[in-house]
Amino acid sequence: MAGIFVFSEDPALARQLLTPGLELKAALDQPLVALTPSRDEAQTLAGLGADRVVVLEGPGTPEALAPAVAALVAQAGVVLVGGTLRGKHLAAHVAAALNAGLTTDAKTIRAEGGRLETTRILYGGLAVCEESLALPAVATIPQRTFPPPAPTGASAPVEAAAVTADPRVEVLSTTPVAGEGVDIGAAPRLVAVGRGFGAKADLDLAVDLAGALKAELACTRGIAEDEHWLPVERYIGISGQTVKPELYVAAGLSGQVQHMVGCRESKVIVAINKDERAPIFEAADYGIVGDLYTVLPLLTAALKA
Amino acid sequence: MPNILVCYKWVLDEQDIKVRPDDLSLDASRAKGKISDFDRNAIEAASLLVEAQGGNVDALAFGTQALKLSVKDVLSRGPNRLTWIGDASAEGADAFVVANVLAAAIRKAGPYDLILCGEGSSDMFFQQTPVRLAALLGLPCVTFVQKMTWADGVLTATRKLPDCTEEVRVAGPAVVSVLGEMNKPRIPSLKQVLGAAKKPSEELPLSSLGLAPGDLEPRAVRGTPKGFLMNRRNIVYKESDAAANVAQLVASLKAEGL
Ligand SMILES: Cc1cc2nc3c(=O)[nH]c(=O)nc-3n(C[C@H](O)[C@H](O)[C@H](O)COP(=O)(O)OP(=O)(O)OC[C@H]3O[C@@H](n4cnc5c(N)ncnc54)[C@H](O)[C@@H]3O)c2cc1C
Ligand SMILES: Nc1ncnc2c1ncn2[C@@H]1O[C@H](COP(=O)(O)O)[C@@H](O)[C@H]1O
Repeated sequence: MAGIFVFSEDPALARQLLTPGLELKAALDQPLVALTPSRDEAQTLAGLGADRVVVLEGPGTPEALAPAVAALVAQAGVVLVGGTLRGKHLAAHVAAALNAGLTTDAKTIRAEGGRLETTRILYGGLAVCEESLALPAVATIPQRTFPPPAPTGASAPVEAAAVTADPRVEVLSTTPVAGEGVDIGAAPRLVAVGRGFGAKADLDLAVDLAGALKAELACTRGIAEDEHWLPVERYIGISGQTVKPELYVAAGLSGQVQHMVGCRESKVIVAINKDERAPIFEAADYGIVGDLYTVLPLLTAALKA
Repeated sequence: MPNILVCYKWVLDEQDIKVRPDDLSLDASRAKGKISDFDRNAIEAASLLVEAQGGNVDALAFGTQALKLSVKDVLSRGPNRLTWIGDASAEGADAFVVANVLAAAIRKAGPYDLILCGEGSSDMFFQQTPVRLAALLGLPCVTFVQKMTWADGVLTATRKLPDCTEEVRVAGPAVVSVLGEMNKPRIPSLKQVLGAAKKPSEELPLSSLGLAPGDLEPRAVRGTPKGFLMNRRNIVYKESDAAANVAQLVASLKAEGL
């Protein structure tokens, strides 16, 4: 049956997807169906405007979920998927199964003239472009792009569908990522660190500054993914988090576009870098050219004074 | 010993692309080409694997005629042989088209034990091609891989998921997308660069792949990109006296109400 389908294994993102889902439902006059791997979450989604909720029961691996979702959405008009790593794998598989176009990390989304019109970024964040997709169409949507809809007071029917494992891919072990559950997106002030820091212990300089500013610590991809000095949930950028704090202090990071795209909507950006030609100065409101090992302690002391 | 294919994309270096302030159009006239960042990690992973335990690495790319410029670079990084499809239509291709073209070329040149891709292309970052490719070829796909080993026809890979990492085992052929942190791509030695000149590379015409016109029609049609212009104050304190710079910055932040 035709429909607007939404899926995310992330509860917050799943709710947010219902907001564009409801708009598309109105524009295309098709029912809105929420797919979720969580029975608990199904009850919530059923009260947020979905016409039907389907609980996917079985393994949560991308290779198991993707064909199950593809089968359920075979007649879909639009499929919206939460843009997590699992969601991106699933969305690409679904798009392939439907011979459909897929917008990655859609920033805006609307139906017009029987097509789906979206916007997304290119070249690491240097540019934005529109994409126009024939229906059926698929889009992934990043965290916090839309607010969740208000509860309707009604409750849609909840059904179940079976997910079966892909026998070709055997999961040998699962290691939880040591996250701290910090929501960096909610922090009003951030001190972000980059490869200008020579050792993990040196991050104390940034921790002290963050203390003086009542800020949280953030970082570039390399600090989280290559050095593992900070948890991945703290790295900002196109493949990390998007934040809009009132103050973003960038210390010892070059300010390449793939990083800045995640923080360029900050109200005030401050840069501390020893290289006067570093791109971060073009992206900053205030900057100090200098060695962070000298500047950060001075700045911390001055703020505490 | 595995027969490996690496798919790479030749992209413009985004650091050389400028935004024209008047109409926000992109000026790529000074942009040089490069092998898409994470594809260098995929090539490195394949090369390390066969250097350690034997086997073969081929490379495959779909792009415009500019791909010619990539031949030496790719072959000096390890692959033994390159097949490339150069066609102007690659410019407007979406991941649906790219995957159709690559899958058709692989059906001709394959089969392969492992098909390696990057996690996403540096210019478009669709993050779709490996999964679509696997779906078209009927193969399993392990995405966002941090680590992998290969023994006796069995791939063991550690992949990243939002809340955990998973070690998975796949017997038989598979498509893998690799993360940037998997390895540090080599800087080819002079010997490797000279050796590259002797390796075979072949251009396949798009028309030889037996694709229907519909397979080459993008499902997602891209509009003209519009550059993002930073609109910031750009006040930089660069005295030799660090304390004076800090004092000025603190005063500025106070004035901002921070
Ligand atoms: C497809 C793609 C996606 C990507 N996604 C992301 C992403 O989501 N997030 C992200 O962050 N990156 C991402 N990157 C990587 C990005 O392009 C940059 O390489 C990265 O952000 C640079 O990190 P950095 O600033 O820590 O390091 P560098 O670029 O090495 O910069 C270090 C800076 O520190 C300065 N410095 C050194 N020593 C000192 C000192 N003593 N005092 C003061 N300053 C000093 C240097 O002048 C330099 O400017 C991505 C790349 C690609 C290709
Ligand atoms: N035109 C292309 N030719 C060869 N490989 C490609 C091409 N486009 C994408 N790929 C591969 O697919 C990966 C993901 O690309 P994308 O889906 O564009 O983000 C890249 O890292 C490459 O390995």
